[in-house]
Amino acid sequence: MYYHKGSVYRQVHPEYATVFSRIEKAGFYQHLIDEGWLISYQKVSKKSAFDHRATLVLKVKPIPFLSYPYEWSFSQLKDAALFTLKLQKLALTHDFSLKDASAYNIQFLEGKPILIDLLSFEEYRVDAPWVAYRQFCEHFLGPLLLTSYTDLRLHKLLRTHLDGLPLDLVSHLLPKKTYLNFAIAMHVHFHARQQQQFGARHHADRHYRLSKLSFMALLDSLESPITKLTAPKQPTEWGEYYTFTNYSPKAFAAKKKIITQYLRQSKPRTVWDLGGNTGEFSHLASNQGIFTVSFDTDPRAVEINYLMVKEKNEKHLLPLLMDLTNPSPDLGWALTERQSLIQRGPAELTMVLALIHHLAISQNVPFEKIANFLARLSRHLIIEFVPKADSQVQKLLATREDIFTDYHQDHFEKAFHHYFRILEKDRLGFGSQRSLYLMKRK
Amino acid sequence: MVLLLLFITLIFPPRVQAYLDPGTGSYITQLLIGSLVGGLYLIKVYFSKIVAFIKSLLQKLSRREKPSS
Repeated sequence: MYYHKGSVYRQVHPEYATVFSRIEKAGFYQHLIDEGWLISYQKVSKKSAFDHRATLVLKVKPIPFLSYPYEWSFSQLKDAALFTLKLQKLALTHDFSLKDASAYNIQFLEGKPILIDLLSFEEYRVDAPWVAYRQFCEHFLGPLLLTSYTDLRLHKLLRTHLDGLPLDLVSHLLPKKTYLNFAIAMHVHFHARQQQQFGARHHADRHYRLSKLSFMALLDSLESPITKLTAPKQPTEWGEYYTFTNYSPKAFAAKKKIITQYLRQSKPRTVWDLGGNTGEFSHLASNQGIFTVSFDTDPRAVEINYLMVKEKNEKHLLPLLMDLTNPSPDLGWALTERQSLIQRGPAELTMVLALIHHLAISQNVPFEKIANFLARLSRHLIIEFVPKADSQVQKLLATREDIFTDYHQDHFEKAFHHYFRILEKDRLGFGSQRSLYLMKRK
Repeated sequence: MVLLLLFITLIFPPRVQAYLDPGTGSYITQLLIGSLVGGLYLIKVYFSKIVAFIKSLLQKLSRREKPSS
């Protein structure tokens, strides 16, 4: 995949061109595209080729925001896993097979998973085993089991293991009771042991045969346990945030009204809601048809948000996990395989609501540095200032010494004025001392 | 008995090698799982087909009974 003049392209090399044409002629790609399961493409001239090896050049429909498995909630990863298995089952019935089962081949478009790798399929060879079985277990099954059985926070391992979690590690971290679950015992514990036992030996001349019925049974044995997996119900910091807000329903409604007004005024096409929690305010943008990414650091909040997106069939909202104090960096080979948050921006508008006190007080980041970072992320900014008198700030100060003498509204405005022009400023009112700002990057 | 033997092998994981090509182990694992669950899968598919057939049969019968009632 490569970018050329702002568009996304894929080139097909001679060794795969015949297979690609056969799958295309069989109507399989078109069927998947019609169902919304495969990214659409058009063939273009070789003038747009990346290099001389191109036999075919494909212009691919762009995805509004590329997200990565380490930014997905439990159910997003689970849905991506089940979607991959569904594709593979369908491919088998058409005598094709997925040769890759990478979680990075899946993206979320209009609220649903979609395959973005046009070159992932191959022709099914009679009785051939699934070459992508190991990758599926490492990219999907292992992380899902660890988060479900051991700890939701183990999801973060996906960021350090870009090619999936090694099964011996998964096996080691899973509780011993999982040995009694046939599917987990076989797909993870036994699998890990077999990898270690046979890994050092050479078996290149062996022919392994798996009948199509056994192949389907294998896929079914992966699908059934994954379908039953649930996210653990461990309490997290923000999961019930909106039940513990400190402002009145009137102030809450006023906040929504002001934000809606700011959105109308700035007319953004993309919005990033940083610290979006369960997406309460992100909806103000997405309901207007604006493509909105709702980031939060809490896996439970992102999970709730995603489940709501699914239930309401929302097309313009993408909930993602992101810790603003340690956002996704550039990763992988030459630091170009996976893009950092900044690389994927800037957004036309960023919302930073009820977050400034967490960054400035809990994380001890000076206003100047927060303003500098936000200016790199966005052209417009809707930001809420939470004064020291606010009970939420007092809560943060209850367990630490108040060394934050600069934490006041004048200094906040001065610091942000270096990078932004303040277009609007509104006091929330109705008993709340908080203020909302609409700013534009200088 | 097979499951018991498998279980025993699972309990004692071997030492990790320094350099591994895990492909072979993955093939062997899927062949074993495929052969173990293949029969069950066949029963599951046919059973769901039989259930679907009986359901459609019952629906047809109830539709026929409705006009007379």
